[in-house]
Amino acid sequence: MTAPVILLVEDDPALRTLTTRSLQESGYVVRPCATGAEMWRSLEVGPVDLVLLDIMLPGTNGIDLCRALRAESEVPIIFISAKGSETDRVVGLELGADDYLAKPFGARELIARVRAVLRRIGAEGRRADRDSGIVTFDGFTLSLPRRELLSPSGGIVELTGAEFDLLTALIDNAQRVIARERLIELSRTRMGDSSDRSVDVLISRLRRKLSSAGHEAPIITVRGVGYMLNTEVTRR
Amino acid sequence: MRWDRAASAGLLGRLLAILLLTLAIEFIASTILYERSSRALIRDDEAHRLAEHLVIARKLVSEQAWPERPAMAQRLTTDRYDVHWAGATDLTPVRPLERGEAFQRVLEWEPSLKDSDLRVELAAVGRQAQLFGALRLRDGTWLRFRAMEPIDDGQPGWHRILIALLPATLLLIVGTLLFRHTLRPMGMLARAAERVGRASELSLPEAGPPEVRRVIRAFNAMHGRIQRLIAERTQALAAVGHDLRTPLARLQLRSDAITDPAARRDFGRDVAEMEAMVESLLAYLGGEADPEPPVRTDVAVMVATLCDAHADQDEDVAYVGDDHLEAACRPSGLKRAVSNLIENALHYGHRARVSVRGEGDTLTIRVDDDGPGIAVDRLEDALQPFVRLDPARGRNTQGLGLGLAIVQRAAEAEGGRLVFENRAEGGLRVDLVMPLR
Repeated sequence: MTAPVILLVEDDPALRTLTTRSLQESGYVVRPCATGAEMWRSLEVGPVDLVLLDIMLPGTNGIDLCRALRAESEVPIIFISAKGSETDRVVGLELGADDYLAKPFGARELIARVRAVLRRIGAEGRRADRDSGIVTFDGFTLSLPRRELLSPSGGIVELTGAEFDLLTALIDNAQRVIARERLIELSRTRMGDSSDRSVDVLISRLRRKLSSAGHEAPIITVRGVGYMLNTEVTRR
Repeated sequence: MRWDRAASAGLLGRLLAILLLTLAIEFIASTILYERSSRALIRDDEAHRLAEHLVIARKLVSEQAWPERPAMAQRLTTDRYDVHWAGATDLTPVRPLERGEAFQRVLEWEPSLKDSDLRVELAAVGRQAQLFGALRLRDGTWLRFRAMEPIDDGQPGWHRILIALLPATLLLIVGTLLFRHTLRPMGMLARAAERVGRASELSLPEAGPPEVRRVIRAFNAMHGRIQRLIAERTQALAAVGHDLRTPLARLQLRSDAITDPAARRDFGRDVAEMEAMVESLLAYLGGEADPEPPVRTDVAVMVATLCDAHADQDEDVAYVGDDHLEAACRPSGLKRAVSNLIENALHYGHRARVSVRGEGDTLTIRVDDDGPGIAVDRLEDALQPFVRLDPARGRNTQGLGLGLAIVQRAAEAEGGRLVFENRAEGGLRVDLVMPLR
């Protein structure tokens, strides 16, 4: 299997070099670019497995590039933002980016995010329903692109990255039992969110968030096997 | 605030005092003039009447024979003057009568009385003046007379003063209203000046007299300059903070090349601290420039998630509030605020107990710690930006000292407030109280 090719768009030369080096040390092939124009030229050279895109670029900014890129390609995108603000994050994810990385980031976090996105896209392929990516269950609404959970009464229920991943895994396997080991492995792919946290703790937190007055969360523990989301899931 | 109000009332008071003083002077002067001229008028009138009466009385009495004279004098007595013929027995005046001012006036009217040895005097009878006198007939007998009514000696009439006061009172009322109206822009200006620095949009309508308009225009221009200045500084600082993140990212990536694990860990911690500073600076500066819209959020879950994150770092933070409580809030700002409160609790103490509770129409986010609390006289300081309450600057102090200032702003943005309380059992309790909508 050939090494995945990553296209890096970053205007700061030193940071570009450092990021490139980090990715290369982890076995990725990197094509560094400084501007949007260079990115388009580089895309013509050959297929790319993932684009790492800095949002603050001279000339065409990352948001516009992301939109243009998504219009003609399904290539996974992780954007790098110096703002780290919530609106930026949501805008980026809504434009079809697969994940985001806030500056400053460490090599570990960078590699973990890249690996997670590549694995997710590789394992599941691109979701056919990614246009909306809205899932409803038990009154809750989960927006996959925005990574946002809304309660039955419409309030935002905050989820950590690990909790979101766990919930999507449960939803993808709704009304089927998932083995604990499988869930542990899934949560490992998100290294930024602490790998040593036990799945049981995550499940109990998720249960608390999905509960409501006099109503238990629809997550069932199957003793000795794993967990199951025991409710009907509707995709829109 | 109180000072301003006193000054503005003082201006109105002063103007009214000026008005009052003018009115009083005008009133006194006119009263004196009026009284004096009317008194002179009355005296002229009196002298005229007396002169005529005396001429007629002298003629009629002189024409009568002596025995008829008392009867004639009796007939000449009117309800104004009492005329009496003294007869031959009394040829000298009872008293030597002065030839006073009244005498002169009578003579001015009737010069023919000059040769009759006329004596007229105003004499005080009680508090009033009474006119009496005598004149000699050609045969040497005396005709005496006196006024029946005391002469009005010109004491000011109180009813006249009251009537004169009425327009003055009206003038005062109208003056007060007009002054108030004229001064209203000043009050508006004072209130606006108090809001400078708190409200961003603050343009006053130009109204009132030209001088006041000029002041308002100058004020608006000044406020605009201050706003621009603040905005420029904020932008510059935010840009610096923002741009610092790229070199910070470089530093963090470079740190991977450090082979000594301990040194690498310390290096990473330093970068994280710098990043935290940049973040708090941006949060502090960006609070107003980029207002976050309120979103319906499960605040209890949000706060519990923050506590979970701390607990995962093996810190003694526990969430003990309701499982769910939804409210309209600015989630990023509020989350940062609660995060700052928890970090403060851990910084000054070792343990944080956090809860979210709704009661009626208020939502309370409570953070209890086991630290030393805050002395009552330092509470104000705690809310000041860039102020730390640590006695030693260098000892284990992280960040820029913006923590509580950011919390305070977030609370204000939610229409809420911060309440500090030193708990009886030790430690500080901070309540962020906001409306539950």
